[in-house]
Amino acid sequence: MGDGLARILTKQSFDPEAFIAKLAIDGEDALLDMRQKVHALNEDTAQALKKNVYKNYSQFIETAKEISILEGEMYQLSNMLTEEKSLMSSMMKLSLVSDKAMVEGPKEEKKEESPEEETRRNLAFLLEKVEGCSSVTEVPGRHLVHDTDLVEVEPETFVQIQRTHAFLLSDSLMMATWVPTRRGPMRYRFQGLYELDSLAVVNVRDAGPIKNAFKILMFPETRMYQADSAKSKRQWLDILEDTKKKKAVKDKQKKEAANRLSDQLSPSPVNSPMGEKGLPSPVFKDAPEEPVTIDTDFLQADWLEELPEDLDMLIAQRNFEGAVDSVEKVTEYLKACPKGPALKEFKARIDHRVKQLTDGLMSELQVSPERSLRGGPRAARHAVTQLIRLAKSAQACDLFLKNRSAVIRYNIRQLKFEGATTLYIRCLCTVFFSSLSDTAKEFLKAFPDHYGCYSAFVIWAKQELVSFVSIFRRQVFESKASLTTIAECVQLAKKHCAELSSIGVDMEFSLASMMDLPIQQVIEETRDQMVEGIKYRTQDELWRPLNLQNKADCDKFVAEMKALGFDVKPYVSDVCFVALTHNTVQFAKSSLTFVDDLLRLYTIELENMIALAIQTVFTAQMQQFQAALKSDKFQSERSTIVKNAQFVGEKVIGRIFTLYQQNDVTLPLQLQTVQMNFRQIK
Amino acid sequence: MSKAKTQQPAVIHKVIMVGSGGVGKSALTLQFMYEEFVEDYEPTKADSYRKKVVLDGEEVQIDILDTAGQEDYAAIRDNYFRTGEGFLCVFSIKEQESFQATQEFREQILRVKNDENIPFLLVGNMIDLKDQRQVTYEEALKRAQEWRVPYVETSAKTCVNVDKVFYDLMREIRSRKMEAIRQNNGKQKKREKKRKCTIL
Ligand SMILES: Nc1nc2c(ncn2[C@@H]2O[C@H](COP(=O)(O)OP(=O)(O)OP(=O)(O)O)[C@@H](O)[C@H]2O)c(=O)[nH]1
Ligand SMILES: [Mg+2]
Repeated sequence: MGDGLARILTKQSFDPEAFIAKLAIDGEDALLDMRQKVHALNEDTAQALKKNVYKNYSQFIETAKEISILEGEMYQLSNMLTEEKSLMSSMMKLSLVSDKAMVEGPKEEKKEESPEEETRRNLAFLLEKVEGCSSVTEVPGRHLVHDTDLVEVEPETFVQIQRTHAFLLSDSLMMATWVPTRRGPMRYRFQGLYELDSLAVVNVRDAGPIKNAFKILMFPETRMYQADSAKSKRQWLDILEDTKKKKAVKDKQKKEAANRLSDQLSPSPVNSPMGEKGLPSPVFKDAPEEPVTIDTDFLQADWLEELPEDLDMLIAQRNFEGAVDSVEKVTEYLKACPKGPALKEFKARIDHRVKQLTDGLMSELQVSPERSLRGGPRAARHAVTQLIRLAKSAQACDLFLKNRSAVIRYNIRQLKFEGATTLYIRCLCTVFFSSLSDTAKEFLKAFPDHYGCYSAFVIWAKQELVSFVSIFRRQVFESKASLTTIAECVQLAKKHCAELSSIGVDMEFSLASMMDLPIQQVIEETRDQMVEGIKYRTQDELWRPLNLQNKADCDKFVAEMKALGFDVKPYVSDVCFVALTHNTVQFAKSSLTFVDDLLRLYTIELENMIALAIQTVFTAQMQQFQAALKSDKFQSERSTIVKNAQFVGEKVIGRIFTLYQQNDVTLPLQLQTVQMNFRQIK
Repeated sequence: MSKAKTQQPAVIHKVIMVGSGGVGKSALTLQFMYEEFVEDYEPTKADSYRKKVVLDGEEVQIDILDTAGQEDYAAIRDNYFRTGEGFLCVFSIKEQESFQATQEFREQILRVKNDENIPFLLVGNMIDLKDQRQVTYEEALKRAQEWRVPYVETSAKTCVNVDKVFYDLMREIRSRKMEAIRQNNGKQKKREKKRKCTIL
């Protein structure tokens, strides 16, 4: 029925006049009936409206939540992508082929760089890629000219043998074979080193199915390699020839210089087409033929050979703990190893990885804006533990605390400052002090027995407190908040700070000393404001009793004062008159609040200052009474003035004494003097 | 990795072209390989070619290393020469100097190979230009006889004796190999095997 009516009423073409006219024909009853119906409909609609609003509201809340979750997910996604990117770029760095050399060929400008630096840079990189090449990298002045992958081909049968990587150095050609079972950057094993002096290169123009091949002849070896393109092969032939020529020129210059020095003992047969008939010195060295020393035997163990690659894998998998385990194991093992070049090389490889591992762990603790802090303290502790095991406790401590600082900053920034200062400070204190106490606990767990680090923690905590206080000051003292609010906030901070001592961190003194000055300032300001207020209000004081108009309001007033601790019944007369002036009542209220706030801020250091401030305020009020009594204007109001003065002197000051007692603060002499002075008012 | 092993004849004869620059080593090689004559002169560095041929009914492969007439470093040349089993020592009949140079090539080959009987042919090229001849047939033959090697005159341009010099040399190489197998039964094979081991 209601629905039917609703449908009619909501029709686009609804004509209220026609509708009513039609109803009116049926008489009064029908109209009354309709009125009822419309009324019911109205109520239903209101209900439905409420429901709809509520429904949409909850939907709105839900959507908002959804959006915030989505936002968080997007954030995380972006983190993951950044991490992925950095992973990729670090993998690119690991990649063996320097694209540069591939694309651009030999670089003329390389000559301009300091050759020493160049060597160290390039050849240290070789050490990482090619196993067993340390003797190659040790030659000063040697640098990398060109390198690419090549496929080695059997020179007689043209069968492809293996993947290799060729490194053309400034004075020699190093070949390395690819080790397919390897992971990590150490993918190649040293195969041979050919000096360029007597290296013969053959351009294989026609080898049936094998395209882009060339041969390297170096007695007793003949090796054939296949480049991946005609261009790459051409490049190899050109660069080889070029490098050989350069080396020859250099050698010739050296030789000439030497000859000049040695006073030319024998004429050199320079222009003979055959040249000197000196025997070429083969320099090819195969890895197993390296001078066998005791340390190489020691390093023969399978697990040791695999270790560098295993470490790479563990680091890549971010299994830092496993990596540190391995490092500890190998360090222990190598202690017993006789010193020798092989050990040195192996150690260099391990050290390199330890550095990578350290970097990885450090970055775990590093705070970067794009990284989520949600890793939390446990992840940090984990990283710290591993760093300590790697004997990097100082760095770990530093980073750990920096990380914690960032967490605190982040958490504080998450707080929204909305209106009420106290509320904000309450949250701020909770966040800050609980973070501080968490850090302390975490620190003790993460650095057990590292007493050297504890002082770092103390210094850190102090610094954090300083930055906390600076936020606190800005929000509390510089925000024109009332003394009441300030007192509440200070109390909150102190309470939280005191709780820290339960875990052995006592910073109350530091906090108090940092807060003292602003507190003193605010006390002075408030005191002066009150004195100003007293003077201002008495300007138009008429010393008339309060007229509360009727009994009800008067009772209400009495109750109100009672709640503040004042019994004003004796001052009531003629039903609705109270023998106190409006200003006196006002003063009673405000001075009580003032003292209450001051006592909340109470410290031994502030004791005297607080007493003096209260004294100043009451003295200012007393002076108003005295002035009024002396004034001719108020001859007839003398009894009221005295009554008011007595109220302040006895009741108000009496309440203040009670407050002191309640706060367990001994009554200062100044206040007793003030009371005495009040009692002299007559 | 795909093994690009097609069914290749197992026997490979390794021939090296030696001689001064511009005498026609590359011309001879290309004529033999592809039956074409290249008019332009482009000095060679070191090129190698492989070809399947039928030598007296037997399928074999010839591996030709075409070297440079001018190579600055003796030590490098040694490395090339070491890989050869037979040599075509070429000069140009219209260039006395190139003929003189054969002496030094011969000496170097003998020193490197340490073998007086190394398969070797003295080749006088460019006989299509007889009118410009500076080296007589007799003096060349005389030298060849001194060395106890055959002397053959060729023209890469008109294709005279080109196949002959390569086939004659291959025959020499083959007979030397047979002889070696007969003499030091299995020694050659052993050496081959050992070499492969070091490679792998
Ligand atoms: N007329 C004629 N010209 C020839 C003959 N052989 C070679 N030539 C030409 O002589 C020049 C040099 O020949 P190449 O075969 O490149 O000489 P090469 O011995 O390989 O020289 P290098 O590679 O520098 O050691 C080219 O211009 C050839 O065309 C020949 O038999 N007759
Ligand atoms: Mg040539």
